[in-house]
Amino acid sequence: MPGHTAEKIQTLVESGRIHSSLYTDPEFFAGEMSEIFEKAWVFVAHESELKENGSFLRRTVGLQPVIVTRARTGIHVLVNRCSHRGNLVCAPERGVKRAFSCPYHGWVFAQNGDLVDVPFPEGCKDLDRNASGLKTAKVASYRGFVFATFNESPPSLEDYLGEARQALDRAADLSPSGEIELGRTWVRHLFRANWKMLSENEADGYHVTFVHDSFAKAINRQGKYDSILQDSEDKVEAVCRYLGGGHTELDYERTYSEPMTWLGVKPDRYPDYVSAMNETYGQDQAFEIMRRGPPHTFIFPNLFLAETCLVMIQPTSVGETVNWHTPLYLKDVPEALNRRILRQGEVALGPSAFLTADDAVIAERQWRATGGSPGWLDISRGQHREEVNPAGVVESHYSDEASNRGFWEHYRSLFAT
Amino acid sequence: MQKLTEAEYRTVVDFIYRECQLADEGRWDEWEELLADDMHYWVPVNPEDADPDRDVSIINDNRSRLATRLRQLRTGTRHSQAPRSAMRRMVSNLIVERLDQQMFRVEGNFVVYEFQNQSTGTLNVWPGRVRYHLRQVGDSFEIALKRVELVMAGAPIPTLAFII
Repeated sequence: MPGHTAEKIQTLVESGRIHSSLYTDPEFFAGEMSEIFEKAWVFVAHESELKENGSFLRRTVGLQPVIVTRARTGIHVLVNRCSHRGNLVCAPERGVKRAFSCPYHGWVFAQNGDLVDVPFPEGCKDLDRNASGLKTAKVASYRGFVFATFNESPPSLEDYLGEARQALDRAADLSPSGEIELGRTWVRHLFRANWKMLSENEADGYHVTFVHDSFAKAINRQGKYDSILQDSEDKVEAVCRYLGGGHTELDYERTYSEPMTWLGVKPDRYPDYVSAMNETYGQDQAFEIMRRGPPHTFIFPNLFLAETCLVMIQPTSVGETVNWHTPLYLKDVPEALNRRILRQGEVALGPSAFLTADDAVIAERQWRATGGSPGWLDISRGQHREEVNPAGVVESHYSDEASNRGFWEHYRSLFAT
Repeated sequence: MQKLTEAEYRTVVDFIYRECQLADEGRWDEWEELLADDMHYWVPVNPEDADPDRDVSIINDNRSRLATRLRQLRTGTRHSQAPRSAMRRMVSNLIVERLDQQMFRVEGNFVVYEFQNQSTGTLNVWPGRVRYHLRQVGDSFEIALKRVELVMAGAPIPTLAFII
């Protein structure tokens, strides 16, 4: 990335305002791909998607197509680009394979990316096979969530996640065996807007009353949404947080007094689940886990734990982003509970959903409105009332922009020269 | 399979054409009158092999959720359909079969041309195959199933907040 790009970015992020060109200028997008998506720990898959040896998935890390594989040696992330002439080595989205054979000239790569065979080897006898494998990323996982990075010397994943690690615990602990188990399908929703508009919006509590007004009216404010779809600022008990490292969240915990409110059901709706949870965690801790419910947490730069769904944000160009989502199924729970999780997610996420369809259109309008006439945008709301706890977490009113400010402060730090 | 009479075929096809017109024109009250109480409105993401109770779908509405969807459209603040997309659809290659005394199954190909005028100003083209289960009620029908198999169901698709 040219040095002047980083210098410009330093001047375009201030403590209470940001410059709109950060969303629309292709120069900054190129810088983000090299400085953020090549260097951060980027979420690529969940281990439950790769059950057997040889399973693979096609994903992306920034703009790089990758293959996530499960070998006997563990999970590997390989760049899906033949080291010979750059062809896509693997075309199917998922499946099971012992090796990847490039359809162009037949070079064969192992599940860890090693070059294992070259057809007509006489002509390639000077080829350094050890240096001709597929490019690989470093891989680490936490509670089954798999992250990859092209950073040569990354921080440990646990350090990278920092305070956001608790959100992954919070999601996985909802299962009595402590595990998430994803299904086989993801919905992919195309937003014709910049990826940061999605990332920031995940922990933006301010928009909910306005963007999702039609949903509030259509459901007559029942259940869990009752506490956040308020006309009056002081009635809102949920909070927003900046967790550090670019990670942000909204937390609805304070609005729930009983277990399972987050799923819109009575605490005793799934008695087998409650007894399994009691057995694993003990009654008090199980009660707390089931009362607090799942996280609503964005993990920088592309993972969003959207309560009952998992969301993966894939930037494809400065003005296009693909929002992937799949239900966050819990392992070893009654089928009816996971079906409820599925139904709840279908309400919230996807091209036709009651919530994100509107978020998409708002982001698309925002991207077009800022494109013509770049200028300063305000993110100062709540600056006077945010509080920092001893762990360094910033907490503020649900509708405040503490989360957005944290996101941008971190963003700027990644381009510091 | 029991053979349909010309008149029966004609009645079914007319009903489908009318359903398409009401959806295109956002005439949601009239469209809702066509629905059965057990209506399933389904747009799977993996149509060749989909389980609506296990695989996440693009749309998977029972009658009650579909009623909520229509209420949301009528609020006027459903931003993704405010203003409503201008659109027209073609439906053709219709195959009509009688499933039992009351129920017909209709399958056909369609393409919707949707002008996404509320945000990007793009003309989205939505091709696919549609399946209906139509229950005969008097001299008309009610829709018990509308299953829409999008050609690009598994690919990234733009916002689809209208009735497809």
